[in-house]
Amino acid sequence: MIGQGKLLEIQDLRKNYGNKGHVTRALNGVSFDVLKGEFLGIMGPSGSGKTTLLNCIATIMKPTSGRVLLKGDNISSFDSKRLAEYRGSRIGYLFQDFELLDNLTGKENILLPLSIHGVDFAKAREKLHELATFLEITDVLNKFPSQMSGGQKQRVAVARSLISEPDIVLADEPTGALDTRSARNLMNKLTEINRKNERTILMVTHDANAASFCSRILFIQDGVIFHELRRQQSESREEFYERILQLLAQLGGGSANVL
Amino acid sequence: MFFKLIIRNAKRSLKENLIYFATLVVAVASFYIILSLEKQDVIIFLKEFESDAINKLLALMPIVYGFALFLLFFLILFANRYQLNRRSKEFGMYLLLGMRKERLILQLLAEGMFISIWALISGLFIGAFLAELISLTVAKLVGQGIISHQFSLSLTAIVFTVIGFLLIQFIALLILGGKLFYQEIYQLLNDQMDKKQEMGDVKGNIFHIFIGTVLLVIAYWLALFRFNEVEGFILFLALILGCIGTIFFIKGFGKLLGIMASRSEKKSTKGLRTFTFRQFQENVAHKYLSVSVTSILMTLSIILIADGASSILSLDKVYNRETSVYDFTVYGEKEKVEQLLNSEEMAPYVADLNLLEIGHMKRKGEDADGMSISMVDWSKLREELILALPRKERELFESGDIQGYTISPDNPDALNLLGILEIDATIPYLIPESSYNRLLEAVDEEPLNLQANEMVLYLNPDLLPMEQVDNIPVLEQIFKNAAQSKENLLTIDGTAFFLRPSVPMRGLVADRSIEIHSAFIVPDQVFEQLVNRETYETYWNFRIPKKLQDEQGLMMPMKEASEKLSAAGFGFESYLHNFGRQLFYVVAGSYTILYMGILFLIIACTVLALQFLTQMKQTKNRFLTLSMLGAKREQMKKSLRMQVLLTFLLPISLAVVSGAVGIWGLIKAVFIRIDNNPLLFPMSIFFACIVLGIFSIYGMAVSRTAEGEIDKLRWKTNVGE
Repeated sequence: MIGQGKLLEIQDLRKNYGNKGHVTRALNGVSFDVLKGEFLGIMGPSGSGKTTLLNCIATIMKPTSGRVLLKGDNISSFDSKRLAEYRGSRIGYLFQDFELLDNLTGKENILLPLSIHGVDFAKAREKLHELATFLEITDVLNKFPSQMSGGQKQRVAVARSLISEPDIVLADEPTGALDTRSARNLMNKLTEINRKNERTILMVTHDANAASFCSRILFIQDGVIFHELRRQQSESREEFYERILQLLAQLGGGSANVL
Repeated sequence: MFFKLIIRNAKRSLKENLIYFATLVVAVASFYIILSLEKQDVIIFLKEFESDAINKLLALMPIVYGFALFLLFFLILFANRYQLNRRSKEFGMYLLLGMRKERLILQLLAEGMFISIWALISGLFIGAFLAELISLTVAKLVGQGIISHQFSLSLTAIVFTVIGFLLIQFIALLILGGKLFYQEIYQLLNDQMDKKQEMGDVKGNIFHIFIGTVLLVIAYWLALFRFNEVEGFILFLALILGCIGTIFFIKGFGKLLGIMASRSEKKSTKGLRTFTFRQFQENVAHKYLSVSVTSILMTLSIILIADGASSILSLDKVYNRETSVYDFTVYGEKEKVEQLLNSEEMAPYVADLNLLEIGHMKRKGEDADGMSISMVDWSKLREELILALPRKERELFESGDIQGYTISPDNPDALNLLGILEIDATIPYLIPESSYNRLLEAVDEEPLNLQANEMVLYLNPDLLPMEQVDNIPVLEQIFKNAAQSKENLLTIDGTAFFLRPSVPMRGLVADRSIEIHSAFIVPDQVFEQLVNRETYETYWNFRIPKKLQDEQGLMMPMKEASEKLSAAGFGFESYLHNFGRQLFYVVAGSYTILYMGILFLIIACTVLALQFLTQMKQTKNRFLTLSMLGAKREQMKKSLRMQVLLTFLLPISLAVVSGAVGIWGLIKAVFIRIDNNPLLFPMSIFFACIVLGIFSIYGMAVSRTAEGEIDKLRWKTNVGE
């Protein structure tokens, strides 16, 4: 199920905000690996540093120190030109509020990464069809985002993140703006993509329900990783969910004690 | 605190939004330029000769000013709306923090006034500078050294500029402030483009384009072929149809464009092409009304500028003295004038002195009804002229249906000649041969040396609408035939007279003291014999000596001679009057029209610019998303440049077509004359360059501003750094 080898290596990542007198350490030495084909979740309360971590991996933020290696390349040291080549083609993105361009149709939105990177449409025709069928969005391909439901919008966004067959998909609270049913539907689709196509997904969330779809979850607080949960082979999603809740409860108590 | 905030915000507006500020400055400068017209050198100069006409022109200025005020009000409104839109989030924030709406609007008005003062200072400075520049250029260009330049600052113009500008700025801010008052904080905080996107069905769009094209074609047809019928109404109808047609066309075109963009699959992933087209489509289809209005304004602008420029073209007529010979004509007692002109004081200014004698021919008597009986019998000439008429006119003549005569450039020459002679030949003017010989001598032509039974039919080249009156083919042919067959075309008091062909025709006086269409030039003894002494008059004509002209130019000696003649108390006219009048037509015809034309163009460009930047601002997030998906800044800038180009190109393309038809129509209706003028080509290029120049400046400014926004893009913290 999980492929061999490390796809992404995060090494001692640190990120400070502010200036000399006032330093906020958002990431305080984070290290972990993401294996190929893994569905990794990152959980943590607000202000824990999980969004900063995702932004650093997403290359939209430069870490203060430390390295982010994607297939061995240190992408945190890339210049903007090389980064642009990575974005959208080697790395796919999913956002909480979809970020579809509202003056483009569904199809045009999905094809956007290919347009930007100058890929011939003929090569993508089949892929587009396949993704649209799988994500059940064929009937909204010629519609504008304003004519779609939230779930449809996020599935169009999923298609967009996958169209260029990236090494990894980074998802930032992808269920945050969806109702329960759409959220579950989306997570099922993501899981299937992960299992069938061995697509690596890294998802940041604070929703235990969404996190229970992951194969492994890292817990982050005050800029450091302090716990890890792995879903057992035999474990059902519901059982895994229970375990996550238990841990969160302990954590809540723990932090309350600290305070 | 309140005051500090106002100043700080106003300063920031100036810095961040140059286009907004530039619009205000343009408005101020245009007001000043039109209001300070009466201080222009050329106007001051013309006031001396054509004070009535100039006063009429100046009386029109308040209307032009009012019209400019009206147009610029909308521009200011648009500019302010754009500026407030940019800051809506900030306003939302103020309100969220508990600022009262009344206070916010008060603050806006105060900021607006503060910026207005800056705009007024800069605008007046630029306006005064431009007015000086125009004044100086025009004086140098047309004045030939007699129009002196003087620095002038019109105080009334400044006062009215300030009042007018502050008024429209205040009203605009009040209207926008009122709108703000009714907006919810949520709307202010989330200022996004209207999310509603519609594809529009293909059929509907084609229908729109079809309707638009049909209306435009009808308007073009009216302008080209039906212009002279019920003039005003047809013009109005063509204008209305053209406007509606433009709106339909652009509406249909904008949407169709988007559909076309999504149809071509092959190219759909070629760079940001689809995105570019969709942005353009959004800009055009959703704002089709204002895009159409800019297109219409541009059309009007092109037509007005062409019209104004054609007036400048006729400037060479002002200097062109093909037919005019004399610089001065003095009237008064023959001997006294002669004495003055030969005096020591005047002599240096006098060359080719010529006494022109003129008078009516005597009458044979009166008939029973008291009508004059003429000594002239020109029935043979009349017959020949009728024969030379085109068939249609000839039939009218022969049936006796012709009631009166009009002399116009549209008539065949023979018809005009018939008209002139019917009116003049009963009691024609007589000019002695010697007078005309001296005139011919002055321009180095052969003297006439008329035989005792020979005469010349003089036709005044300044008043008759025919080209080259000294060589009218019809007349030449008739004269030649008559000479060959020894036939008499005309008799005076029973004596046959031969008509001398191909005599050069020149103006008899310096300007207009003698306004006659035709005269008979006869040998001196015939003149003495036939002239009616009661109508006998004399005019002294002279020219400024060539040598003096070479030394000082024509205008300066002319001015000096005028002063001396005035001092001596004689009535006189000079070529300056002629020059002044012609110049007036040019100035009146070009100044206000060019002003309006350029104003329209600037308004159209500003509207396009502001609209583009508003859309850009409202859809800023799209560019962030694009950069997340890997778009490079250069890629996005390229797309933006393309969007700007398309946004500007669409309305101007249509405007160029409509404008060309409009100009063509005006040429056909002879509103614009462009006969083979050597200046035509350079002048067209010059004004085309001005239009293109203004256009490109705006396009480039918008591109720059938009690209600047791209550079400022930040994804939460830092994109692509």
